[in-house]
Amino acid sequence: MDEILAIFLKEWRTELRARNGLFVSFTFSLLSVVAMGFACSIRTPSGSLGAGLFCLTLLFAAVVSLPRTFLSEEDQGTFELLRTLADPGAAFTGKMLFATLLMLLTGALLGVLFPILTGLEVKQLDLYIVAIVVECLALGSAVSLCGALVLGSPNRWVVVGVLALPLLIPQLAMAIGAFRAALGDGFVAAGWQNVAGLGGYALASVASGPSLVGAVWRRGG
Amino acid sequence: MLVAEGVGKRFGSRWIFRGVSFELEKGDVLAVLGSNGAGKSTLLRILAGLLAPSEGRVEGIQDFRAEVGYSSLDQALYPALTAREHLDLAGRLRKVLPQVEELLAKVGLVREIQTCSTFSSGMKSRLRLALAIQTSPSILLLDEPSASMDAPGQKLVSEIVSEQAARGVAIIATHQDVDRRLATHEVQLNG
Amino acid sequence: MRRLMLAAAITASTVLYFLVPDAAGAWTRPDLARMLFFHLPCAFAATLFLIAMSWFGWRYLSTRRLEWDARLEAATEVGLLFASLTMVTGILFSQVQWNAWWNWDPRQTSFLLVLLLMGASVALRGALPDEHRRASACSAYAMATLLPSIFLLFVYPRLPTTYSLHPSTTITNGELVGIYRYSPILIGLVILWFGIVAYRSKVKAVLLEKEFITHVGPLESDLDPAPPARVGRAVRVSSDGGPEG
Repeated sequence: MDEILAIFLKEWRTELRARNGLFVSFTFSLLSVVAMGFACSIRTPSGSLGAGLFCLTLLFAAVVSLPRTFLSEEDQGTFELLRTLADPGAAFTGKMLFATLLMLLTGALLGVLFPILTGLEVKQLDLYIVAIVVECLALGSAVSLCGALVLGSPNRWVVVGVLALPLLIPQLAMAIGAFRAALGDGFVAAGWQNVAGLGGYALASVASGPSLVGAVWRRGG
Repeated sequence: MLVAEGVGKRFGSRWIFRGVSFELEKGDVLAVLGSNGAGKSTLLRILAGLLAPSEGRVEGIQDFRAEVGYSSLDQALYPALTAREHLDLAGRLRKVLPQVEELLAKVGLVREIQTCSTFSSGMKSRLRLALAIQTSPSILLLDEPSASMDAPGQKLVSEIVSEQAARGVAIIATHQDVDRRLATHEVQLNG
Repeated sequence: MRRLMLAAAITASTVLYFLVPDAAGAWTRPDLARMLFFHLPCAFAATLFLIAMSWFGWRYLSTRRLEWDARLEAATEVGLLFASLTMVTGILFSQVQWNAWWNWDPRQTSFLLVLLLMGASVALRGALPDEHRRASACSAYAMATLLPSIFLLFVYPRLPTTYSLHPSTTITNGELVGIYRYSPILIGLVILWFGIVAYRSKVKAVLLEKEFITHVGPLESDLDPAPPARVGRAVRVSSDGGPEG
């Protein structure tokens, strides 16, 4: 636990001192939500379409910003140092937690801005908030896993997208179902069912990620 | 204490080296020699457990983090962290006393308070040495330890290797005479 | 002999395809319903290889033996072949029976994603230069894709909120009658046989390549003026730095 916390704090400190990465990620998320808002400026979309657009915005934010916590280790040449110091499972968990925190912050920002900019009304606020939190957890764990797997690849920034997208689409389908209901276009019970499915998905990723990455990064064979 | 038997490494279908064998006892210092691209760093990375050999085996290491200290020029440091923060982080991750001030004093970085992004290559090498010896490892692997060092730095490397010989074994990948003189054994990767 | 038998079985399957009468029942094009004979077995074979991929991945991560990675590589490639064939036959089937090349049917979409997952595995394999690193990353990804694949293939198309044009009770309710019931099974067995032969050949080829590199040298395609592999053996040195002999 102490190791996970140490990695988490290292990420936190590094991000705060070199704010560039964080700033670029937030700006990208902001730009995508503004673009969505602009596209919807003439006519407010239906709840179903809005849910799809919102999930797409979250997906963009995740794929652009989340793998950075892992890929930056390789880019700045510190991955080997990290491997000599940390237990792989703990390093992955600490980084995944940090990436998920970033995703939650991004999700909170987008969750507030999206209805304002698109003119959509959130009919089920509790479902909307819980769906954002669970979707951010699911995105955080799945993209972190892909980021960890492509370390060592010369074209890792492209490969991570190729690996992550097919893994993310099933969970996006569930998230769209939940947001659709939250935006008043579907049964609320079905929305909660989707959140439960998404939660199971996130839980499975969070639980399996450290052992899978631990096996990949293991030293000595 | 540390045995390598027929170790070889290839990338794709091209062998970098093959058939590297040695057996080291406590107090031995092995110099790994060879021209650029001969595979010295690759061999050290295999011994550090960071790469798997394509053939052969390495025996004598159970817990890489506790038993092996590794320092390489290729190993970058976190540019946003200070030397103290590096040692503190490393100590917490490896569950040993960080001994921050002692280690910084030993490698001559006790006055440095800036982040590593401002460090010269010699200062970075000194910090890497401090990180490598933090756990008092039984096996110390140094890749070109004197390459970017001034005369006091080279003396420091020699001191650290002598201390290591009292504790276990040291392996130095080098093409510099100053490092080669520290060795009790040599392995040449030039065929 | 075995290869000859397989060739005969494939020929027999092709002949059977042309010999069976047009399908009875509510088909838009009863004459092209026989496409089912290939489409359905390919989908089953792709699913089997997908599950096998996860198993081989787990075996590699537990044993670190590269034979399991060779099996994983073979299963991925043969699985990708069957998934592609499923997609192609599915798209053609969709056009002739439902009058649309693509209609976002849940099963069609699910299989597309499974195809992408397999494609991503192949992309990952090509992206990592070190064989052990590649083997462990591909194994971990194969295991990580199992859950989404199960969801996509078995759960998502059956969700009450989704509507699929694919009939899901045709086989269980015995709606396929006569030769249309047995032909997919017979041809399916031949397809699976072909898949297993292709898989085993690929495993053999990968292992042979490793053997060749170990005992003979670089492959012809990799030859360049690079120096030969070095060999190193430790020698004790005397106090003046020279070797003792």
